[in-house]
Amino acid sequence: MTAMAPSAKTGTASKPLLAVDNLSIFFGRGAQETCVVSNLSFSIQPSEMIGIVGESGCGKSATALSLLRLLPSENSRISGHINFDGLDLAQLGEGDMQKIRGRRIAMIFQEPMSALDPVFTVGHQISETIRAHFGVGRREARERAIDALAAVGIAAPAQRYHEYSAQLSGGMRQRVLIAIALSCEPRLLIADEPTTALDVTVQSQIVDLLTDLASRRSMALVFITHDLGVVAEACSRVITMYAGQLVEDGNVDDVLTHPLHPYTSGLLCSLPRLSAPKTVLPAIPGRVPRTFDQTGCRFEDRCGFRLDKCSVAQPVLERDYRKARCCRVDELILPGAVR
Amino acid sequence: MTITAPFFGPLVSVHNLEVYFAVPHKGATVKAVDGVTFDVELGKTLGIIGESGSGKSTLGRALIGLVRPTGGSVLHEGEDPFELSRREFASHRRNYVTVFQDPSSALDPRMTIAQSVREPLDIVGQLSRPDRDARVVELLERVGLNPVHAQRYPHELSGGQKQRANIARALTLNPKLIVCDEVVAALDVSIQADILNLFADLQRAFNLTYVFISHDLGVVAHVSDYIGVMYLGKLVEFGPADRLMRAPLHPYTQALLSAEPCALPAKLRTKKRIILEGEVPSPLDPPSGCRFRTRCWLARDICATAEPLPRMVRPDQRVACHFADEAVLSPSPPGVTSFVVNTAL
Repeated sequence: MTAMAPSAKTGTASKPLLAVDNLSIFFGRGAQETCVVSNLSFSIQPSEMIGIVGESGCGKSATALSLLRLLPSENSRISGHINFDGLDLAQLGEGDMQKIRGRRIAMIFQEPMSALDPVFTVGHQISETIRAHFGVGRREARERAIDALAAVGIAAPAQRYHEYSAQLSGGMRQRVLIAIALSCEPRLLIADEPTTALDVTVQSQIVDLLTDLASRRSMALVFITHDLGVVAEACSRVITMYAGQLVEDGNVDDVLTHPLHPYTSGLLCSLPRLSAPKTVLPAIPGRVPRTFDQTGCRFEDRCGFRLDKCSVAQPVLERDYRKARCCRVDELILPGAVR
Repeated sequence: MTITAPFFGPLVSVHNLEVYFAVPHKGATVKAVDGVTFDVELGKTLGIIGESGSGKSTLGRALIGLVRPTGGSVLHEGEDPFELSRREFASHRRNYVTVFQDPSSALDPRMTIAQSVREPLDIVGQLSRPDRDARVVELLERVGLNPVHAQRYPHELSGGQKQRANIARALTLNPKLIVCDEVVAALDVSIQADILNLFADLQRAFNLTYVFISHDLGVVAHVSDYIGVMYLGKLVEFGPADRLMRAPLHPYTQALLSAEPCALPAKLRTKKRIILEGEVPSPLDPPSGCRFRTRCWLARDICATAEPLPRMVRPDQRVACHFADEAVLSPSPPGVTSFVVNTAL
């Protein structure tokens, strides 16, 4: 825990919508406490679309949940600051937080089936959100809910309003979740693997819908995914996480062309590509460490560019609006998605 | 190893295969696989792509005799496995095995990895106990697991390691064909690359034949020699992998390929998206004529009345579409100016 991590210096100079500063997340209690995300700092400008990528267990979802303070308080703890619109969400009381959730920051989840309640109609679940946040009557909430269903491209919204989640297909359910999330016109939408459970043709519909709605409503979007293709198509900026740390942060096209961190490069290289079938894929050797207690670079054991200086703690280094947690950032020219 | 008379035809020959399932209480039939014809050559990899509910997995099961076809035939080296006696079938099916998607549920949680991999050998009972144990060690080593892993239980291994154990178990009895049903879907990209490399390595070493079923086009394109595209039980296109990926003929294949998100900077993403309307119709009540017509931008009256039969439009490339020639000439729905499948991906 050394110097303050730099914040809000990326991209444009305008005031960020969300500034995460030195966020750490701990799971477990007392002696069993483990750190799953450490000293994470990043910021999001209004109406910016960013992607957070990384393998399972790198802390993507924990970060998303912590932004809305959805982690169970009895066996998890967060430290640091989450500045959103002049408020520090990390310190906010539960009552005030409840006013932010859904209203100012909304979230959609991976599995649309389990995110919807099977015993209520989808319309009920949308109006419930609207009534909770705006205090409007049943009739008006119903009208707004039908508008919300129409906005996400659901045909015959007035009929769909009365249907249950089991009557809808996977893509339709995900649209309903988006309708719920957008019904209160949040400033920020967090989408945690929103398309993983869907087929590619439906996935492309949903990705297009999300980016289109976000840009029309000037809403910021955080896409949490392991699919670098989705990030390339939907986002302008990408953050790579590894073993609970931010390892790279930069403009999507720059990162895809010249990644600055060997882990990002490894992820991009291990994707099978249509142009080079039947060749050996450059996989990243080893796997994510189980505990994140090593002092040096956490990627050291799997990195092909390791030197002696990698065994000391690696700060995040900034280079022309880009960030990377690698001491060899100025020496290495790493392969990206373009070759 | 037994020496049998050499067979020079395809390893698996599928002719007009139909697998229908009756739906109880509804009086309906799901035509999971409906009139599919193709061959799988020895030592090659056939990729099967399509969306959920297209019949990919049922086709995979039918290929290795796990489901009995309701019509048509699946021949293994010219032989129909369902014509064999029970005893013959039991030894026959050792040559035709599968690896499933979820590495955790495919392994018995109460057996160590070594026990799981040895089980097929125990059942066959040809080798002595020490020989079986030696074979297990050899197999695990071949797939990149060490003797320490052998004594572990599935929950003590990572997803990638479990999938390696599943592959080792599939290899135990020297199969000819392995049906790989979404084998890397549950794995992270870097582990996925490792497993795909392992499959390629084993294919070279043992002259294995694979049928790779996946919804991930990148994976299928990477491993396959031939690719078949399924839509609602029909094989809509079949051809050599490179040509099918570069110049797809069926509108559905074109849409599917264009929907695949590619990890490239914006200036290199030349391909235009074809956004299909809606989703795959219910297999309980598929559209008449061409099953893709409800989502197809080339559809005309004939598509609703006559089912398009597979035909060779280019050498080796079969497509079931009335307007496949047109799809080649003007391969884009209204509003899309050009269609180039990005080969840089």
